[in-house]
Amino acid sequence: MKIRPLTVRKVAQIVFFLLFVLTVFQATYPFKPWLPPELFLWLDPLTALTTQIAAHFFDVVFILALIVLLSPLVFGRAFCGWICPLGTVIDGCDHVIAPKKARDYRRLRPLKLAILTAVIILAVCGVQSAWLLDPLPILWRSMGVIGMAFLFLLVDVILNGLIAIGIFPGTFGNLQDWLSGYLFPVSNPEFGGLFAPLLILLIILGLSRLTKRFWCRYLCPLGALLGLVARLSPLCRIVNPAKCTACGVCKHKCKTDAIEDDFVTTAKSECILCLNCKDDCPGEAITFGWRSPKQMANRVDLSRRAFLGTGLAAVAGAGLLKINKIDPRQTDRLIRPPGALLEDDFLERCIRCGECVRICSTSGKCLQLSVLENGLEGFLTPLAQYRRGYCEFNCNLCGQICPTKAIQPQSVPQKQTTKMGQAIFLKDRCIPYRLNENCIVCEEHCPTPEKAIKIITKEYIDPVSGDKRIINYPYVDELLCIGCGICENKCPLNGEAGVIVVREGEERLIA
Amino acid sequence: MDRRKFIKTGAILTGSFVLGVPRILGKEITYPDLVMVKNGQPAEMIRQAFNMLGGVTRFVTKGDSVLLKPNLSWDRAPEYAATTNPELVAEVVRQCYQAGAKNVIILDNTCNDARRSYDSCKIPEYAKAVGADVRFVRDNQFVDTEIPGATRMKNWPVHEEVFKADKIINIPILKHHQISGITSGFKNMMGLVGGNRGRIHRPFAENIVDINRIIKPHLTIMDAIRILRRNGPVGGDLKDVERLDTIIVGADRVLVDAWAAKLFGVNPQDVEYIKLAHAAGMGQMDVVKYQPVTYSFKA
Repeated sequence: MKIRPLTVRKVAQIVFFLLFVLTVFQATYPFKPWLPPELFLWLDPLTALTTQIAAHFFDVVFILALIVLLSPLVFGRAFCGWICPLGTVIDGCDHVIAPKKARDYRRLRPLKLAILTAVIILAVCGVQSAWLLDPLPILWRSMGVIGMAFLFLLVDVILNGLIAIGIFPGTFGNLQDWLSGYLFPVSNPEFGGLFAPLLILLIILGLSRLTKRFWCRYLCPLGALLGLVARLSPLCRIVNPAKCTACGVCKHKCKTDAIEDDFVTTAKSECILCLNCKDDCPGEAITFGWRSPKQMANRVDLSRRAFLGTGLAAVAGAGLLKINKIDPRQTDRLIRPPGALLEDDFLERCIRCGECVRICSTSGKCLQLSVLENGLEGFLTPLAQYRRGYCEFNCNLCGQICPTKAIQPQSVPQKQTTKMGQAIFLKDRCIPYRLNENCIVCEEHCPTPEKAIKIITKEYIDPVSGDKRIINYPYVDELLCIGCGICENKCPLNGEAGVIVVREGEERLIA
Repeated sequence: MDRRKFIKTGAILTGSFVLGVPRILGKEITYPDLVMVKNGQPAEMIRQAFNMLGGVTRFVTKGDSVLLKPNLSWDRAPEYAATTNPELVAEVVRQCYQAGAKNVIILDNTCNDARRSYDSCKIPEYAKAVGADVRFVRDNQFVDTEIPGATRMKNWPVHEEVFKADKIINIPILKHHQISGITSGFKNMMGLVGGNRGRIHRPFAENIVDINRIIKPHLTIMDAIRILRRNGPVGGDLKDVERLDTIIVGADRVLVDAWAAKLFGVNPQDVEYIKLAHAAGMGQMDVVKYQPVTYSFKA
């Protein structure tokens, strides 16, 4: 039996998608990955470019991205058609929602070049935009944060339901514990403001309602970048004019609007080598082979006017974004992960892939994707929210997993002395101060070897009854406090805790 | 088996045989209700304690489902004395199975992340090796329970296993605690309840006693092999850890805690919840009147 090349492409797509899913699953406590969770992001040339340009640094792992960046010299945009996991997800979605008859928005083809221009110019201006426009961070975030939490909820609801109605409760209980040992945390993570990242994903997928692979055809700057390189590729769609009946099936089947109206010429920057045209050609007129790069090829270009316009708009946008900064003195509750770079560097490097948030959700559960708490520029960056979780004293995983080292990797002892913020007591809320009753749950949980929360013991005389009692009043030793937030998290008060962590005294690292 | 072990085992076997003879002859002998064993390895100390108490079978009968409640609550290695000694727990599991227990379950509602705490404290590792059923605690396993006789906590979510198990064995570790001076057996029962546990701290003593009204361990094994002197109950500094190589075992949970307090250097009269528990008729607290039978592996 002859294996169709189309089948090979589909299998490759599934394999790479599953590898991507594996990297998501591996970003968990206990952290023993045999495939680095950052792998796909290190392979992403757009991430490599924007991050290194925006934050002015060079990291040797991004040499991996050169493989993908240079791959079109030989294989054209095969990355988009065969490997890109977001492309695969979009393909899956297209089966359901794309119109049966492909529609072309041919005028929009250069749009992705304009977006690429904007992304690069924004990076030059020090604005990171990968979070909105780079397919791999978008997909990682969507699957790692939303997808995994949703999957966990689903599994939990099903297993709890089966246990509750008494169907093999022992077996399913053991299964639940086994899953907790390897895949899922014991209790489901909760997130606030998930609508924002979800909306971005849904828009990208929903655009397929207009025509299949809309994102890849007209918007994706990574596709545009690879397309630029692909122009030089000798790999090319060859149409045998003797066999071609100009039936137009190939153009109709093309995923990316790469075939020109004569059905012979191909826009190399658009073709993702999906092989649909070859497979469906009734006359078997289409082959793929090596030719001089310009033969039977058409170029998609951005006009000079559009290029300049986009560039200026990007510069203006970057400027506006920088003006739109939130007042740093108003951000005293915005706690960054331990080992985060200085705020400006952090914002330039953070690609909002959500890896830190995902791995934290399996440990201390404090990291959340911000929405607009720290301004538009900080959109979807990680923030520690201590009423939802706290920073586990022995955990340094967010720094281990950050693909761009916006959170610097630190050893556990280093991280244990990196101050994320400062705990302060709100004396009009804290129980011992407000009610003159003992509590000290915060002191009990304080994890530093010498407790940062200390106690003054005083005798309290009730002014009405005259009863005497011994009360422990807590206070913070600011030199010992690392701002891990377990005090704020475990405070038994409803609503705002009696002890909160503020940014004052936070220690941020220099790259 | 080396010579030392041989002699020790021999001595224990002979001892139990000699103790067993009077029973065969039809004479009723009484076993102590409180024992203290010192200066041995964790496993041999608990074996010795059970021998002195008249065997595990006095507490665990054939076919029992036993709930063990050691302290697994913190993401700390055993050396830090924040969690119960894993060798001690493993030996208790083994003894329970030898006594014919159907099932030995270990669980704790942890303070740090459950998986981290279970991994760091090593108890699951040691206990699973000898066949214990170590489980994570999940929210849906708590049952809202009325607490008869409670002074403060009229009802509270309690873990379902408390009601399913035939026997409960409490294996706390002796540690410093800011409110009560020490944390011991009574406080360890907090790991079997859910809800907003921080609220239990006010007023601490009353609530702790209330929890113990509904959760009644049949046996308390106080781990004072390593104790945490300062910065309890989580610790984190080896300088705060002191080796006492001692265990106290007894069925009277108040008395075990009272002796634990004494061992720690705190007058049981100064520990509020011990006084309250005694007043509520849950056990004795007079450490002068009720002395443990003591055995030391070193002279």
